[in-house]
Amino acid sequence: MGDFKLTTVEEFEAGTARLLETGAKVGADAWQYRVKNQTPHCKFGEQGICCRICSMGPCRITPKAPRGICGCDAHGIVGRNYLKFTAGGAATHSDHGREICHTLYCAAPDGAYKVKDPEKLIRIAKEWGVETEGKDIYDLAHEMAYLGMSEYGKVFGYQNFLKRAPKHTQEIWEREEIAPRAIDREVSCSLHMSHMGCSSKPEALIRQALRAGLSDGWGGSMAGTEFSDVLFGTPTPIDTEANLGVMNAENVNIVVHGHDPSLSEMICEYADDPEMIAYAKEMGAKGITISGVCCTSNEVAMRRGIPMAGNFLQQENVVLTGACEAIVVDVQCIFPALGPLSKCFHTKFITTSPIAQMPDSEYIRFSPENAAENAKAIVKLAIENFKNRKPELVHIPEMKQKATVGYSVEAIVKVLDGVTNSQVDELGTTKPLLECVTSGVLRGAVAMVGCNNPKVRPDTAHIELMKKLIANDIIVVASGCSAQAAAKAGLMDKAAKDLCGAGLKRVCELADIPPVLHMGSCVDISRMMILVATLAKDSGLNISQLPVVGCAPEWMSEKAVSIGNYVVATGIDTFLGVDPYVSGSSEVAALLTGGVRDWVEAAYTVETDIEKLVDKMIERIEEKRAAIGI
Amino acid sequence: MTLFDVVFSGNDTVYGLTEGAIDAAIAQHGADKAVSFPDTAYSLPCYYGVTGTKIGNLGELKEALGVVKTLMTREKRLNDVFMSGVATALCAEFIEVLKYIDGAMPYEAPCYGHLGDAIIRELGVPLVTGDIPGVAVILGSAPSAEEAVALVKSYQAQGILVTLVGGVIDQLESQGYKTGANVRVIPLGKDVTSVIHVVSVAVRAALIFGNIKPGDAAGLMEYTFKRVPAFVNALGALDPVIVACGAGAIALGFPVVTNDVATSEAVNIKVPKSLIVQPDIAKFNATSLEARDIKLKITNIDIPVAFASAFEGEIIRRGDMQVEFDGSRVDCFELVQTKDMTEIEDHKIELIGPDLDEFEVGTKHSIGYIVEVAGKSMQSDFEPVFERKFHSYLNCVEGMMHTGQRDMIRIRISKDTFNAGLRAKHIGEVLYAKVKSEFAAVVDRCQVKIITDPAECTKLRHELAVPAFDKRDERLTTLTDESVDVYYSCIMCQAFSPSHVCVVTPERLGLCGAVSWLDAKATNELDPQGPCQVITKEKPIDERIGEYEDVNEAVRKFSQGALEDVSLYSIIEKPMTSCGCFECICGIEPLSNGVCIANREYAGMTPIGMTFPELASMTGGGVQTPGFMGHGKHFIASKKFMKAEGGIERIVWMPKDLKDQVADRLNATAKELYGIDNFTDMIGDETIAEDPETLLAFLEEKGHPALSMEPMM
Repeated sequence: MGDFKLTTVEEFEAGTARLLETGAKVGADAWQYRVKNQTPHCKFGEQGICCRICSMGPCRITPKAPRGICGCDAHGIVGRNYLKFTAGGAATHSDHGREICHTLYCAAPDGAYKVKDPEKLIRIAKEWGVETEGKDIYDLAHEMAYLGMSEYGKVFGYQNFLKRAPKHTQEIWEREEIAPRAIDREVSCSLHMSHMGCSSKPEALIRQALRAGLSDGWGGSMAGTEFSDVLFGTPTPIDTEANLGVMNAENVNIVVHGHDPSLSEMICEYADDPEMIAYAKEMGAKGITISGVCCTSNEVAMRRGIPMAGNFLQQENVVLTGACEAIVVDVQCIFPALGPLSKCFHTKFITTSPIAQMPDSEYIRFSPENAAENAKAIVKLAIENFKNRKPELVHIPEMKQKATVGYSVEAIVKVLDGVTNSQVDELGTTKPLLECVTSGVLRGAVAMVGCNNPKVRPDTAHIELMKKLIANDIIVVASGCSAQAAAKAGLMDKAAKDLCGAGLKRVCELADIPPVLHMGSCVDISRMMILVATLAKDSGLNISQLPVVGCAPEWMSEKAVSIGNYVVATGIDTFLGVDPYVSGSSEVAALLTGGVRDWVEAAYTVETDIEKLVDKMIERIEEKRAAIGI
Repeated sequence: MTLFDVVFSGNDTVYGLTEGAIDAAIAQHGADKAVSFPDTAYSLPCYYGVTGTKIGNLGELKEALGVVKTLMTREKRLNDVFMSGVATALCAEFIEVLKYIDGAMPYEAPCYGHLGDAIIRELGVPLVTGDIPGVAVILGSAPSAEEAVALVKSYQAQGILVTLVGGVIDQLESQGYKTGANVRVIPLGKDVTSVIHVVSVAVRAALIFGNIKPGDAAGLMEYTFKRVPAFVNALGALDPVIVACGAGAIALGFPVVTNDVATSEAVNIKVPKSLIVQPDIAKFNATSLEARDIKLKITNIDIPVAFASAFEGEIIRRGDMQVEFDGSRVDCFELVQTKDMTEIEDHKIELIGPDLDEFEVGTKHSIGYIVEVAGKSMQSDFEPVFERKFHSYLNCVEGMMHTGQRDMIRIRISKDTFNAGLRAKHIGEVLYAKVKSEFAAVVDRCQVKIITDPAECTKLRHELAVPAFDKRDERLTTLTDESVDVYYSCIMCQAFSPSHVCVVTPERLGLCGAVSWLDAKATNELDPQGPCQVITKEKPIDERIGEYEDVNEAVRKFSQGALEDVSLYSIIEKPMTSCGCFECICGIEPLSNGVCIANREYAGMTPIGMTFPELASMTGGGVQTPGFMGHGKHFIASKKFMKAEGGIERIVWMPKDLKDQVADRLNATAKELYGIDNFTDMIGDETIAEDPETLLAFLEEKGHPALSMEPMM
């Protein structure tokens, strides 16, 4: 077993406690305190039965007041809130995808952004029926970018990427009228339906929530993933490290945070520049360390091996180290708290996107057109800030773990090729994985996704669930903050094979993989959709028949609900550890946890007891196995 | 029925039989009756290995069966399947040991049954050294006796130890096929339980050679998985008992290859790299070796002429030459590229373009060959190291001469060798066999492309080879002589020039232009006893000319005393020697107080009054010739280029092509060292002057700095 040992949540918390002591010295606020101030939460809000979509209210449903002023009951209110929540998430992911398309549109052979994976671009173009023969790759890139952006407002028809789904799945979407049309249309339509005086029938609202979710997962998110790969390269397995210990007290520390890789890719590019490194040395540092938080971190870790400083609820910790010269953010999941917090230290809080503008930040507006010079300016700013560090406040917890990341679908297929036998097997399929599953060596797979949420002891659910799953020969694919929790704990170290059951352990040894595979950021859950679609096609089974489930045990954002909807609508049972504000309506809850199964062959399970949640997943996987006789 | 159910049921069957057999034996002999295998110190070796308990009599055997039962858990997890497989194997051992009660001899020729400790000790060494590259366990009956013979023969030819269980034994006998430990084909027995006798060998190997403690079941399984290169060929219908035994084999890390398509269609039994269905028995050998990652040492190179180091120094004169490939006149290159495993079909040799018999006798052509390799431990740093060995490999072919490297190679093939049947693909065979055998540690798969189509050669040279070479050179630019702690020696060309030693530093690559400091480092890492050795630089004598005590000591040692001392940075004082492979020669041009450089491709006259071949004749051979020095092209722009004499400012002339090649980097160095812009514009070439007087006039007109420098001599 060597000297491999997981880092425990208790150790994480001890590290955080030490950082909060630093915070106390400088009068810093922290989410731990704000949670206390906000507790108990509003019960009406928690149950989803507060309606404030018109100015007659706000209306709150109680046994004595079972209807709002317009006459809408709890089911309508909960359903509308749920749909609006979904629309927020779908809009967010999809707009990220649109930005990537725009960046691709600006790519040029001598520009800051280049086409790093032309083969992938050609593959997608062929899928979309675009002529590629004899075309300059940049002309093709611009044409595809334009088409990609057109997916958001296409007048007729459905999302191009839907054709990647197995036929059966496509038929379900068509039959249930949830095949997504233009992405912007699904978001608008959702907001329209949930406007005062439109839909109040749970079935209609939930159906649209699934559709809006699909426009994200098989539309905007997929565009975000695929065109990011075209621009920045399709991830392949690469070694990196995770947790706050990746920050280096002797170096200029720049932390990238957010979701859109366009900015962080450029920052990484310039931080590697010998000129910048020399400048850092001139300023008294030994070098430059870039690390990441949240999904921007996942993006650059997957492609460049940039270490991961932490996940969502660790974002304040990076500033509390006192060694962060700049935290550079793009969009989504950025605490406005970083502004005031950075003022307690020398840290520069640099916002870059018109989408995410915050008080107490330095705003350096970033666009594909000025990417290079702005990235350089940001790196310089951080270097020049090194001298302002207060040495007495510097403390970086020494925790970090090794991780092998970068398992795109393409990389997974390549890994699987490695265990084929050239005398009998074909290459380029998921069949070796299917053979492991049908023979019983692996029992199934769980897609672990989502955020942190103070309602769950942070990272505990992710880590404990994964530990139990891998011990039961269930392979885990992870993305987003869930993936980072795994990496911080050590579950993405190949040595973690020793924590697995005999089956998964043998698979890890033969394929040379860790038991928890990092598939990317939260938009990259689209990769997981492509993976299950491929598995279904390669096996001849329907997606819903595969012993595969999804799980978001610590989710918190609107995006997560949108994700949940498209995962369920793709035919994958989804397990949540936090209730999506629907307990106020028995009808909506029943629909989500049962009724939708009649439409899309899958549904939600909500279980806040983590131990029970994992047992239910294992049980569901075994049920699915039994149903197909494996 | 799932695979797990089949294993469990097979395990239950064997357990039932074992229980019955032990009970019957106790009824017959009593519980105190001694049981043991002959000629072993390990009791029942499998049971002892797994549990650490020795069994002495039937009563203890019955107790042990109770322990075996505890392994037979029935959860739906692979661990339960593995343990049931192990339990099945232990049951088989119990059944077999009963056969030996009272010193019975249950097996008769050709079967061996239990194998004594002595045989294991005998097999241990060849297994460790790879002389026995694997152990095949063939179980059941092949579709025909002829196919059984063919399969066994194929393993035998590879040096693989073959053990036989069941019908295959009779099949070999019916064909009169010779078996026995001396020919490494060992029939064990005809009952399926006799398979335990080979498992017993693996277990004892772990105890004897692996220092595994009896009872450390996990350590035992780890050892057999990682170190015992065994595999199972299960021929014919798989019944549950065989599948249960197979589970035991897989638990120990031994893949099972079966030809039972019917069962695999009824039950999902396929498991990658572990349980493989191969309907074609003719492919069992290749399938099994790949499944167990067994690499064979290649000792035989499939070419029609001899291959030996005796031919390494062979010279082929023009008159004896069938055909020539010459990189100084047409586009040629040799290149190693790292690929993904999936991109490579091992031992594929592809010829693109005409073969040797399509060329007229005595003609000159393009050739390029790309050796593509893949392996888990392969690093792209090793590419140039393999490439440098090509010179030696191809020279070892009788009637083939190879000089140069990268895109500056020349190959001649003699008429005799051509007439003996040598063709282009044989170049591939040689490169394949040598790369696979010499670099087995890092190369798992290898394929070779040979390009003789001139247009394709031109294209690949410029689009693939040259960028790859440039990229390697690029990596070197960040390294300086001062920034590293050690240099390396290189004696790769001692075949031609026995007293020459190159000292390779980051800023001074080998004079062949092909061995950079990184290459030398990698060569040393791959083969610590090989041609590149570490030279420390802790004892400087004279920093100006770059002389070190440690370097001198190394040079003396590696030149077998032919050379006393060398400087790294001077061409006047103790200059480094040249073998004859140099890309360029620089020599003093007294009139202008500078040096002229000529490259191998340059066919004309130099202002020194000598052509390249004339310069070469007085510079090579491993002797020090003050005033003349062989070197790599890349060295020209180095800050260490004849630093003792003032550096690159001394360069007054070089052929235009060479000037163009090095201009960018040379100008950058001149700018950095002396603040001179476009230094190459001041340097003469053959279009300006081929004699010293015209050159001097040109230099004066340009105000070349060498003119005002101190005299060199």
